Amino acid sequence: MQELVLIQPGRTAEKEFAQEGAAAALRREFEERLAECGPLAYRVARGVLRNSADAEDVAQEALMRAYRRFERLRDRTRFRAWLVRIAFRLAIDRARSSKRREVRETLWSQSAPRPSTEDLAATSEFQKHLDRAMDELPDKHRLVLLLAAMQGHSLEEVAEMLGLPMGTVKSRLFFARKQLAEKLRCHRR
Amino acid sequence: MPSKMKSCENYLAELTDAVVAAAEPSSELRSHLDACASCRAAFTEELQLVTAIDTGLRAEANSEVPASLLPRVRAELNDRSVPSRSWMPARAAIATAAVVVAAIVFVRGFVLDTVPTNPSVNTSTHNMPSAEIRPAPTVVSPFGMTTLPTKRRSFRPTKTEPSVKAEHAAVLIPAGQKQAIDALLAGLREGAVKTGVLLTTNPEQPLRDLQVLPLEVSPIEMKPLEDVSAESASPNEKTRR
Repeated sequence: MQELVLIQPGRTAEKEFAQEGAAAALRREFEERLAECGPLAYRVARGVLRNSADAEDVAQEALMRAYRRFERLRDRTRFRAWLVRIAFRLAIDRARSSKRREVRETLWSQSAPRPSTEDLAATSEFQKHLDRAMDELPDKHRLVLLLAAMQGHSLEEVAEMLGLPMGTVKSRLFFARKQLAEKLRCHRR
Repeated sequence: MPSKMKSCENYLAELTDAVVAAAEPSSELRSHLDACASCRAAFTEELQLVTAIDTGLRAEANSEVPASLLPRVRAELNDRSVPSRSWMPARAAIATAAVVVAAIVFVRGFVLDTVPTNPSVNTSTHNMPSAEIRPAPTVVSPFGMTTLPTKRRSFRPTKTEPSVKAEHAAVLIPAGQKQAIDALLAGLREGAVKTGVLLTTNPEQPLRDLQVLPLEVSPIEMKPLEDVSAESASPNEKTRR
């Protein structure tokens, strides 16, 4: 027997209308989150790549990935944590695969030094050593160090973002700084 | 005093840890630093180093976000007006559908394998010349399974299907054999009678081809019609004549 299906055009239109409304609401919510978390993604990427253009590309890619998964990442804390992790991972991947490192290093010497009150930090030579030492850190230590160095991030927030206990964050931070200090001790003036 | 017992080298690790952890030096270390100028100098150097590291890190971590970042993301968002859903739900749906289809095929195959092609029906039709096959709405199979006369689509090859579908056929039997067949079916249901017995040939009465006797038509007596016009005439007409 042939089966008959009753088609109700009105219902389809309603459904489409509801879908459009939901998509618009999703977009609005994402835009709010974008303004709040976009800089975070950029800074995480910049901390790994130390190159503005690359960091911007990585941040954009991370944000677009976040948008695709936004329905499942609507929770604010979860969204930040996910974005930080994906931006960091993408930046690490790019840094490892990119062959532009040498170009970046030559550009670094041409760029203007950042104003700093500290003599050591003001020298580009020291910064280069710091970058190298950072690159040699384990990823998990590096991410904690970056997030803790960002303004407005308490250790509690870092722990929440990474889904780690406070003690773990503190110990990672301690070992990362100690490692950097050991590596840079011979380069201080 | 313990501080007098420790040499300066022993304090170096401790002062480095205190500086890296940004913790207050212990009272013992503090008293040693008060007394030892070289350790005090080392402590100051460590402090400068860690401060420089922190400054460099903060500079990196808080670099200015390019103004073009958010417009770039928004432009890309506009290109993709609706977030494309993750493939995971679609994959899950496809996988579920595949599992359901596989389960249906398996169950149907199992049912068709366990329900025989009803040899009793076929053999009985061979043995009984008076048998007649006609469609029936519902048939109770010898194994007690009621099959509805719905159209069934099978994924199995058609060669395994019986020539006459048992669920669509009923068998008319001579009235005298009904009790015997009922007893046979009951035996089959209870397992007392094996289905193989229906297929065994009787050496005394080997199976023969069905023979159809020629039709016998009795002769028909032909009589010419009588002229009934005079008999069927009304009495009035008769009187007029």
